[in-house]
Amino acid sequence: MSANLNQIATQDRLLQVILAPQITEKATYVADKNQQIAFKVRTDATKPEIKAAVELVFKVEVAAVTVANVKGKVKRAGRVLGRRKDWKKAYVSLKPGQEINFAAGE
Amino acid sequence: MAATVETISNLERRITVSVPLKPIEEEVTQRINRLARTAKLPGFRPGKVPMKLVYQQYGAQVRDEVFSGAVERTFTEAVQENKLRVAGYPNIEPKQSEGGDHFEYVATFEVFPEFEIGDLSKVKIERPVLEVGEADVKKTTDVLLKQRATYEPVKRASKKGDKVNIALRALIDGNEVERTSEQGLDLILGEGGRVAEFDDNLIGNKVGSQKTFDIAYPAEHKPEQLAGKTVTYEVTFNTVEQAKLPELDADFARGLGVEDGDVEKMKAEIKQSLEQEVAKRVRAKVKEQVFQALVENVALELPKAIIEAETNRVMQATQNNLQQRGVDVSTVTLDPAMFEEQAKRNASLRLILSELVNKNSLQANAEQVRAMVDQFAQSFERPEDVVRWYYDDPKRLDEPASLATEENVVNWVLQSAKVSDKKVKFDDLMGNA
Repeated sequence: MSANLNQIATQDRLLQVILAPQITEKATYVADKNQQIAFKVRTDATKPEIKAAVELVFKVEVAAVTVANVKGKVKRAGRVLGRRKDWKKAYVSLKPGQEINFAAGE
Repeated sequence: MAATVETISNLERRITVSVPLKPIEEEVTQRINRLARTAKLPGFRPGKVPMKLVYQQYGAQVRDEVFSGAVERTFTEAVQENKLRVAGYPNIEPKQSEGGDHFEYVATFEVFPEFEIGDLSKVKIERPVLEVGEADVKKTTDVLLKQRATYEPVKRASKKGDKVNIALRALIDGNEVERTSEQGLDLILGEGGRVAEFDDNLIGNKVGSQKTFDIAYPAEHKPEQLAGKTVTYEVTFNTVEQAKLPELDADFARGLGVEDGDVEKMKAEIKQSLEQEVAKRVRAKVKEQVFQALVENVALELPKAIIEAETNRVMQATQNNLQQRGVDVSTVTLDPAMFEEQAKRNASLRLILSELVNKNSLQANAEQVRAMVDQFAQSFERPEDVVRWYYDDPKRLDEPASLATEENVVNWVLQSAKVSDKKVKFDDLMGNA
């Protein structure tokens, strides 16, 4: 991130990075095992951005971020092939002792 | 569970119930556990949803259910323990308790009044007595004859009781306000469809004659457009017909459904049905008096909830009645206060009746119900079908059963009340019952 970026513009951008928490069986399994939380994020988000965004929104300290680009599923309606949008998934690991309460936060 | 009862007023009670929280919480967890095994959430296979999420999703709902279930159960228990008869719905409010291992709520409600039925031996009942005589039968046949009258044209001048057909023009200040069509207007003189003067003016005219006369309408006449006006009528007589009453003979009897044309038989039948009608009226009169006496003899304070419910019911019934008679209900505003008196009477009567019935076991038995049904069916062409219809559905028997029960109550009261017989005239009895 370039240092000369306007701070307010940065915050606006950060607030748009996280799309939704990813609440699935797999995500809860990982959360239990590695203190990681999964989010759906914008496809053009970078790891540092995600880290900053999570710290900003949930007021927690982030240890590391790993991301995965998920390919949209191919779906067909009759003879027509269609495709769902690709999306990006981010696993955010928190520093020990940190926690996100989805019910209270956001 | 611990409950304390307070008496607020004669009928109002307040009950404070305290329930231990532990079993309730246990039940909540148990239910959540059960739910978790089948719960479906997106992102999870059925039954694999973590407990925390299930709780988030359904926790509040389950708690609500369990709590209201517990309140209901403990409330009925408390009521039974204290031997209270709750009228209407209780008003339940949770009470914030400090300690935390107990949960408390306060229920306010009304109870059914306790009452004694007063001394009925002082009650005076007048039973109308009436023998159906020849004269009454004759009166009925006269009416029937008149209904079947035929008319035949005559040359003479019209008189009262004749049927005339007239063409008519009505003028007010020279302006036409009414005109009959080509067929003219059929009138029976002396039946008073219009003002009496109108008929008087038509009397004494022959077929083909013409007459012009004025009628000054009084100021309070309805419809208003004629009120206070002088109307000039120009009348042409198309026909003048004389009424001819049919003979009271075999043909007439046959017309009334007596197949062999026996006039005496017809008279007997008329008499029988008149007697039935009289008996019905007499019963109704006695019943009315008995109920009135019961209501007057018992002092009781009614719970507000009951009065309110009854008022609503009466109001609804009135509304339906209006609607059936073709009144636009939305234009009529009914004030509940209008019905309160009646509702109070109804409600207290019902309470008294049910008390009487329970205390003296006056419920109608099967034979009495059957007799009532037979009575209903009597006036139909095929009574056995009607009876079968009633017995097809136990619900349909409610009405005859309750009527029979009422009859029992009436008889029971009559046993102790002073009954005096009073001779009445036929018309008096029929007129206003």
